[in-house]
Amino acid sequence: MDEGLFNLVIVGGGTAGWMCAAACAAKLDRSRFRVRLIESEEIGTVGVGEATLPQMKDFNDFLGLDEVEFMQATQASFKLGIEFVNWGRQGDRYVHPFGTFGRPIGEADFFSYWVRGRNAGVAAPLSDYCFPIVAALQNRFMLPNGDPNDVRNAFAYAYHLDAFLYARYLRGWAEARGIERVEGRIVDVARDANSGNIAAVTLASGTSVAGDMFVDCSGFRSLLLGGTLGVDLDDWSKWLPCDSAAAVPSVRSTDFTPYTRSTRRKAGWQWRIPLQHRTGNGYVYASKDISDDEAAATLLANLDGEALAEPRVLRFKAGKRDQAWAHNVVGMGLAGGFLEPLESTSIYLVQMAIMHMLTLLPSCDGIDPALPAEFNRVMDVEYDRIRDFLILHYIANDADAPLWEQVTTMNVPDTLAGKIDRFRQRAFVQAYRDGLFGPPSWQAVFVGQGIVPHAADRLADTLPDDLLADRLGNLAATITLGAKSAPSHADFVASYCPAPAP
Amino acid sequence: MQRVAVYGGGVAAVMAALAIARAFARLGTEVTWVDTGEAPPPHAALVAPPDLATFHRLLGIDEAALARQAAATFNMGQQYAGWSGGEAAFLHAYGDAGTPYASLPFVQHWARARAAGLRVGLEDFCLAAAAAKEGRTGERGEATGQAVKRGWHLDAGGYARLPRDACEKAGVRIVPGRDAVSERDGTELAALTLADGQRIAADLFVDADGVLIAALDPGGAEQKPPLCDRVLRASGAPFDPLPLYSRTAAHPAGWTTLIPLADRTAVEFFYDSRQLSDTDARSALTAMIGRPVEGNAEPVGAMTRARLWVGNVVAIGGAAGDAPPLDGADLLLLQLAIAQLVLLWPLDRAAMPEADIYNEEIGGGRARVRDFTAQHFRLNARSEPFWAAARAAPVSSELASKIDLFAARGMFAHYNHEAHVEDGWALVMAGHGVVPRGFDPQALQVDDPALMAEFQRQLRAVATDVRAMDTHADALRRLWA
Repeated sequence: MDEGLFNLVIVGGGTAGWMCAAACAAKLDRSRFRVRLIESEEIGTVGVGEATLPQMKDFNDFLGLDEVEFMQATQASFKLGIEFVNWGRQGDRYVHPFGTFGRPIGEADFFSYWVRGRNAGVAAPLSDYCFPIVAALQNRFMLPNGDPNDVRNAFAYAYHLDAFLYARYLRGWAEARGIERVEGRIVDVARDANSGNIAAVTLASGTSVAGDMFVDCSGFRSLLLGGTLGVDLDDWSKWLPCDSAAAVPSVRSTDFTPYTRSTRRKAGWQWRIPLQHRTGNGYVYASKDISDDEAAATLLANLDGEALAEPRVLRFKAGKRDQAWAHNVVGMGLAGGFLEPLESTSIYLVQMAIMHMLTLLPSCDGIDPALPAEFNRVMDVEYDRIRDFLILHYIANDADAPLWEQVTTMNVPDTLAGKIDRFRQRAFVQAYRDGLFGPPSWQAVFVGQGIVPHAADRLADTLPDDLLADRLGNLAATITLGAKSAPSHADFVASYCPAPAP
Repeated sequence: MQRVAVYGGGVAAVMAALAIARAFARLGTEVTWVDTGEAPPPHAALVAPPDLATFHRLLGIDEAALARQAAATFNMGQQYAGWSGGEAAFLHAYGDAGTPYASLPFVQHWARARAAGLRVGLEDFCLAAAAAKEGRTGERGEATGQAVKRGWHLDAGGYARLPRDACEKAGVRIVPGRDAVSERDGTELAALTLADGQRIAADLFVDADGVLIAALDPGGAEQKPPLCDRVLRASGAPFDPLPLYSRTAAHPAGWTTLIPLADRTAVEFFYDSRQLSDTDARSALTAMIGRPVEGNAEPVGAMTRARLWVGNVVAIGGAAGDAPPLDGADLLLLQLAIAQLVLLWPLDRAAMPEADIYNEEIGGGRARVRDFTAQHFRLNARSEPFWAAARAAPVSSELASKIDLFAARGMFAHYNHEAHVEDGWALVMAGHGVVPRGFDPQALQVDDPALMAEFQRQLRAVATDVRAMDTHADALRRLWA
């Protein structure tokens, strides 16, 4: 090993691996950091249609990717939120948007005025006060217009994309910037006798790849973190019992939504992710409550276009590794933990792990214990918050099947129970500086699932009734008008970033 | 919440009464302030943090009145002198610790350059610190792009009297009274009976005195041993020109703080009576200010309460616990508490789920503010027994992690309820001599010559911005006009 040259080895070349490699290519000085990625053509990656969060645009900007080129390369479409169908009660629909509700109209936050207006019978449904929801439900899309006083700027957007194509695109991008790809299957792992650190991995060809630091992106196998180092998975399946998914692409339908759809079903829920030339679909289910065959049949019976393949079944378990960084191994993506894609958090969690790892990367002198301590602390916060937010979707539903009886009566984590009580009592949502999810997300899902507070901040009571009704009415009208000015999602994509047929 | 009673004196009671009346009198809430007549101790002065300006606007407190009645001067930070032994001093200024560069916090570049031998302190890249040391003040810098914030130095007695008129204007009923006897109704307080027999019933009680919360939560106060158990206050001649910062200098058995006011310099001497007798403390202070010290030393406590809102009683100010004796913590905590109380104003007399939320939010905020002050003691490098004990005193796990991470990487471990900004922490830790052992490797994308050029550019920009600012005297004159 070169003196002073830090060797970073990424194990696994799926979405997580190549995102990490690309970030290293963009941000690490290659005269000091040698970055290699080991992957094997023999091992497939789990690439189904992916829905993402707006933070992904930050990641792409961080790398310096061209948005149009990226969208063309990944068959991407735009996403303004997630529509939840049959959640809460059969027949209900709501959208969790990437934007805020309303705008400040007094001393309290908008949501408090909405609660008050609702009690007084002068408020429309919450979604009418949210530009991205109103635009999305009309299949319209535009980029934020940059005017801070315009409702057409009060949102962010994410992408629907083919994660396999994203990995391939980033591979080309990273290799062009000097990241070395090593083809091979890992057959052995050597540890340093003193430190317990991983010293090197051996490939089937007999080649040994040594490193100062290893990034485990090996997927569910968690080859180094879970396997070699034996870091346990903190099992969350008691709260998130879905453990399987059947996935299938279908022909693109005319309903080209700028949002992901999640439809609640007997033993889980079904996703629908529109890409430019096909639609990604999947049924996430609890295998104890439905057979694979029935799940696949349900999925195929609920497509809005012809299936393009046989359904593929994936298995997983909800949870998080006790430490995402142990010794000299950082686990990312599925190797670090898994949360079902109900809120499109997979790529976000990879992105957070990459950003934190880059800033905390040790030097050749060894690993200062404060670095993994901080990494594990912030990743735990991310995982715990998302876990609670996902569980929130499960607890308030009709108990119309065994799975739903189970999850609507289970004990939830204390952290979540407190949040629910506080929201119900007085619409309180704790705001925090970073991370998922902000107050508008909680408000959308609480209200969407039928948990509506009786009252909110008293400061909202100081606005006279007639003024309140006026302001709510004006805002809804402005949003309706604003949405009409946006082009259709299909037209926007066709002119902005048309991808060639695959 | 039809009837609210605020009980106590000092700054806390009057501010709470005013804030509540201004927010909720419109909804028919009647606010009674039982003024116990307790006033801030003679000579006391307050270091008001920058966010207080926003708070004053909400309360309708006029800055010119503040200047006139509280002998106010601008406060751009706190200087700490001699905490690492010797004469070295640093400024915790309210502003950015350098201008971010190449998409990274400036402190990362600074840490890298320090490791390569740079001798310039972090503070030299901070516009607020440079301006304060030059006696100049403003709100922002064009050349640096850095934010500059400022608070006040205030005469405590004048400040406590200031909102009285506004209180009356806002409809607060002010009742002089003392020695309240609590009348309980189950787990709640029904009424107070004052020494003169007057009975004050209310739905919610705000306790700035401590006697009401003690009635509902008798075992709730925990006395911790303070580092310094005595404070002696005095006044010296005013500085000319007036500094824009207070100065806290380490003493072998404690510390002294000089707070510049328009008409005097307030002096506080905190000391440990096991290390220094009251007589010796008085002689030392007399020698320092060059005039006789009147009055006696007062005891200093370190009381904390786990629950600040119990039943229908909310403890604020000193009743909520002793504020850390540095960093303007008392006004910072008071402002956080009052703002949170207004935000969580109870919906329903019968059940107050707000209490738990309030206790969690304010409890968290108080813990983080305590951490901020505790870092000074943890990081001191003096050798006297007082300072060795201060260094060894236990700190929270959050503070330990913050110090570890900054020492390792120049980064800030952000927790919920932070009350001080990241760059404030960086200036203080760097000021106490913590030089990060490592830095974000992304900083290495900038090559050495480019980094040196950027450092020089920033130092020039700081100088340019400082020159464009007002002198302290001009800024105060403008306020008076």
